[in-house]
Amino acid sequence: MSVLHRGQIGLVALAVLSLVGCAQETRITRVDSGVVTDLSGRWNDTDSRIVAESMVKEALEYQWLNNFSSSKHRQPVVVVGTIQNSSHEHINVNTFVADLERELTNSQKITFVAGKGDREELRTERKEQAMYAREDTQKAPGKEIGADFMMKGTIATILDEADGTKAVFYQVDLQMVDLESNAKVWFGQKKIKKVVEKKRSIF
Amino acid sequence: MSPLASRPTAFVPARWGVLISTQSFFALLAFVLLTGCGPSVNRYLLIEASLRAHDPKGADAIVAVAEKDYGSKSRVLYGMDRGMTLQLAGDYQQSNAVLEQAEEELDRLYTRRIRTETLAFMTNDTALPYEGDPYEQVLINVLKALNYAVLGQWQDALVEARRIDHRLNVLSDRTKEKNAYRDDGFARYLSGILYESTGDVNNAFIAYRKAYESLEATRAWSHTAVPSQLRVDLLRTAEALHFTQELTEYQSVFPTTRWETSQALQQLAQVVVISYNGRAPRKEDQFLDLPISLDALQLVLLNRGFSQSSRHSNRAVDTALYGLNGRVIRVALPRLVPQKTRVPVDRVRLISDNGIRVTLNTELVHNVTAMADKALAERMAGVTVKALARAATKFALAEGATRGAQHAAGKDAAPWVGLLVGLLTKGLAVASEEADKRSWQTLPDEIHLARAWVLPGRYEVQSQAAGGPLDPLNPEAMQTLSLGPGETTVLIQRVMP
Repeated sequence: MSVLHRGQIGLVALAVLSLVGCAQETRITRVDSGVVTDLSGRWNDTDSRIVAESMVKEALEYQWLNNFSSSKHRQPVVVVGTIQNSSHEHINVNTFVADLERELTNSQKITFVAGKGDREELRTERKEQAMYAREDTQKAPGKEIGADFMMKGTIATILDEADGTKAVFYQVDLQMVDLESNAKVWFGQKKIKKVVEKKRSIF
Repeated sequence: MSPLASRPTAFVPARWGVLISTQSFFALLAFVLLTGCGPSVNRYLLIEASLRAHDPKGADAIVAVAEKDYGSKSRVLYGMDRGMTLQLAGDYQQSNAVLEQAEEELDRLYTRRIRTETLAFMTNDTALPYEGDPYEQVLINVLKALNYAVLGQWQDALVEARRIDHRLNVLSDRTKEKNAYRDDGFARYLSGILYESTGDVNNAFIAYRKAYESLEATRAWSHTAVPSQLRVDLLRTAEALHFTQELTEYQSVFPTTRWETSQALQQLAQVVVISYNGRAPRKEDQFLDLPISLDALQLVLLNRGFSQSSRHSNRAVDTALYGLNGRVIRVALPRLVPQKTRVPVDRVRLISDNGIRVTLNTELVHNVTAMADKALAERMAGVTVKALARAATKFALAEGATRGAQHAAGKDAAPWVGLLVGLLTKGLAVASEEADKRSWQTLPDEIHLARAWVLPGRYEVQSQAAGGPLDPLNPEAMQTLSLGPGETTVLIQRVMP
């Protein structure tokens, strides 16, 4: 084998090795959090955000808000209760609740109070303040604002699948319940339908 | 959060201990050393040894170490095996994580790659990604549901129950033959228990009814009778829902069955025992050597002997002999080897602080070996046709290559070139023939279940196989439970063999 031939082989081998070294199994691209990323067809951050925005907007446009404000001469106090996951997916309900809470708080049309989990933490903090904090900085118990309404709801799915095509139908039901009378003053519904098609074979 | 809390199961980490036992350590060491020498070592024997030594952490470590050996084609199998050993080791969250990955991988495998299929056709079916049999796919969700139930995450357990329902509905739509595996009595029954434990009696009744119908429909081949507890559950939920017609029908079918009303059970605590008994069946090669000439027939008979089983054959010798002869086509088919459990019934005894004794006798609810047998039988025709076509193609290609080489070599060199190329190509065709023997082997042979409602309080749990003595050295034999009214506790135990 000539020297030139060996050199050529060496160059080709080097090029192959370089290319192999450059090839990446994982590629990461930073995108805006508002960009829709439908990868698997499952419930994702976009669904959570869109549903929360549109449903809170809808809830605040209805008459119950004006009725309450005009009769009580103040903003209603709302707390978010349980959002039940009745779907086929392990949905992180906490992120959806956080989206709802954000939209409710930012609307400036209602007074939003902390939910059950947060309240426990805050009460523990107050108890500890009573023991350890300077007296003039302690926050007294019994001064919490009681909610007038509770927003609660469910996320449910209906699945249909055949021959690699799956139709996923999400239905989010939210309701605003008067905590005094248990009357449902608002009932909102948002539906999302996705069709996931999978090829049976590729090369 | 659900008011129904779950308690640590029989396999809590503390009971198994943090340290791996000496026996399992050596098993793991042997595995690490032997895997360096080739894939011949059977990891399942080592896992079994660890489980016998009551060391599920050791068993899990063996699967974890072998992750690379599973390879890219068996990612689902790795997830299945690991999901089970992690569950037995008491790491329920991690078990769910790997099982979730396996399920996602399974989803991706719906799309088949033509390249991979072609490669598998030219070599053997082990080149295909492992998808598992339908009953194994359902068991992924079953294991996840149990993990969530043990963790007290009942809403997540119900997600798995819904996934089971969806998976079985799709399977049922796809499978036309009525006698085939198209529904799953145990998975349905467990779904019903989960629904009822969370207060959804209506869905529980539907699941119980489907479980009953499925078990009845598959009784001939699943060798699993309708559990007496399921009869009780059907009657109780039908009554609770005021389904008078259904109640009358079931009463006429089970005239001797007595049950407590749902109302009477409300203030009691529920204990559900899931017992994994024995070892799942394994698969082995069954070689069919098809001679296409008289001298090849003589060779095959000489090599095998009339009565000798093909599974004892020496593959290296076969490759050389048949390669030299060039007139033997080898076909490899999978064969199931049952590893039946010797524990027909488990007995779990609950002893309260004030001395009240409650004995739970488990019942067979899922015969994994029967499921595997049925799954293989359903696939066998397709596997055989494919194996024959593959063997014929390999032979034709080898023959073509041999003749081509002879022609290219010229008159003088043709005989020895033909012999050499024939030996190589036909030997390769014989050597590469192998059945796909992969299966979820960390599963048990049988799954048993017991369900009882007891007075709330603290209980000591004792577990033993019926008729067998209580082994005081066995760490799975004792544990303490604290049960509140309306709570459901799931206990999982592995009984070997």
